[in-house]
Amino acid sequence: MDPLREEIDREIAANKIVVYGKGTKSMPRCGFTLETIEFFDRFGYPFEVVDVLENVPKREALAEMTNWPTLPKVFIDGKFCGDTDILGPMAQSGELQTLLEQSFGHAGQPKTTIELH
Amino acid sequence: MIDTASLTDLIRSALPDARVEIEDRTGTMDHFNVTVHSKSFAGKTLIEQHQLVYGALKGALKDGRVHAVELKTLIPEKVQ
Repeated sequence: MDPLREEIDREIAANKIVVYGKGTKSMPRCGFTLETIEFFDRFGYPFEVVDVLENVPKREALAEMTNWPTLPKVFIDGKFCGDTDILGPMAQSGELQTLLEQSFGHAGQPKTTIELH
Repeated sequence: MIDTASLTDLIRSALPDARVEIEDRTGTMDHFNVTVHSKSFAGKTLIEQHQLVYGALKGALKDGRVHAVELKTLIPEKVQ
């Protein structure tokens, strides 16, 4: 098998949520990647961001594999789930929350804000 | 950079009945909000619907005429 495809398969098997995007979690280099990071921050599950901005062959392998030409690309539990255009409506209908709970086996733990009095 | 008529034509090459609304997000004609209405979306998942549109835009995304798309797909109400 294609080594890039193997690398992708390993990444999506090792992490329940993988975002392939431009830039890293702490330094996103694309508005849509940032939007996706902020999107998942709200759910309180760990997720991995893989920077493929400079890796053209890997971007092509991903596009080929998903029939989806744009970044970011999100995989949940090994399954391609598109981007926030897909995940947004899934979150609105509650489908995404169910999928995440099933994948992780527990509810998300969103960061709570501590109020100082 | 691409004009809205060419972008619409590309989408209609895959979805001949499509009604396409295009909004230029950045004023540079390469980042778009695109809404596509088509009967062909009926019975398909959201991912499959987007894959149909992206299939038509593959070339334009690859050669850089289109940089980014925020996509919305809708089924005309009477066939829902």
